Amino acid sequence: MQIRRVWWRQLVKPNERCGARIALLGLSLLTAGCAAQGKPYERANAPSNTATIYVYRPYNFFGSLMHPTVRCGNESAVIEPGGYHAFVLPAGRVTCSTSTETADLLDIDADPRVYYVRERMGWGLLVGRPELNPVDDDQAQWEIQSCCVREP
Amino acid sequence: MSLTDQSQVTFSYREELTHEENHVPMILSAIDPLTYAGYPMGEYVVIAVASLSIFHGGRLIGDYKAQSRVTKPYSMYSQPTHRELDDAVRVAVREKIDRELYADSARLVAAAGQTE
Repeated sequence: MQIRRVWWRQLVKPNERCGARIALLGLSLLTAGCAAQGKPYERANAPSNTATIYVYRPYNFFGSLMHPTVRCGNESAVIEPGGYHAFVLPAGRVTCSTSTETADLLDIDADPRVYYVRERMGWGLLVGRPELNPVDDDQAQWEIQSCCVREP
Repeated sequence: MSLTDQSQVTFSYREELTHEENHVPMILSAIDPLTYAGYPMGEYVVIAVASLSIFHGGRLIGDYKAQSRVTKPYSMYSQPTHRELDDAVRVAVREKIDRELYADSARLVAAAGQTE
């Protein structure tokens, strides 16, 4: 540890050290500001004969500044990294979609029950590409409780 | 499901899709020159399990099961939608069920005739 400190002091002058600390603080504030703020996950109260589709987006630094709109049926929502949205829709065939430079489409033959979809941003040519991945209930319930908050 | 209200023959069909995904870590994809040459950055997998049961007057005369798996990689230049994957695996599993059904059609007709 002592060797590291000496190396750091030799490389960075005292006035530059202050700048580096401010830059680090700014970066941490910037990345923290990208994450969604809200209440922890809780099951939505949905009337019978409706399907509830939870679309959640675990936090990932890559693509965190991109917030593409997710549409399910007639509803739409912008989901920030670390957030989720519950779409409560009439049972039947529901199409969820999202797009930036490419689009992803997901058809769900929705019974009156709960479905989970994970949104992920992947690499793209110019901007990140959103994906909508259907996830099994067991895995999704654990993930959504540990990763995501309900957006206001 | 039956073809008419009066038919003794009823069909029960069930299809279940399971999705998997494999991704190369994004930091590795970013620094890998092959990524920019179109090398796959991951893949999507969909597995469909289907079963068709045929009853004649409450008696099971045909029971068919099939499983199909569709794997599609994605790269910087091409990315399938989940709708395309689901449609592809549904077509594949239904073709398998159809083949089983046609291969068994003679026995099925005889079984239906015996219960008349």
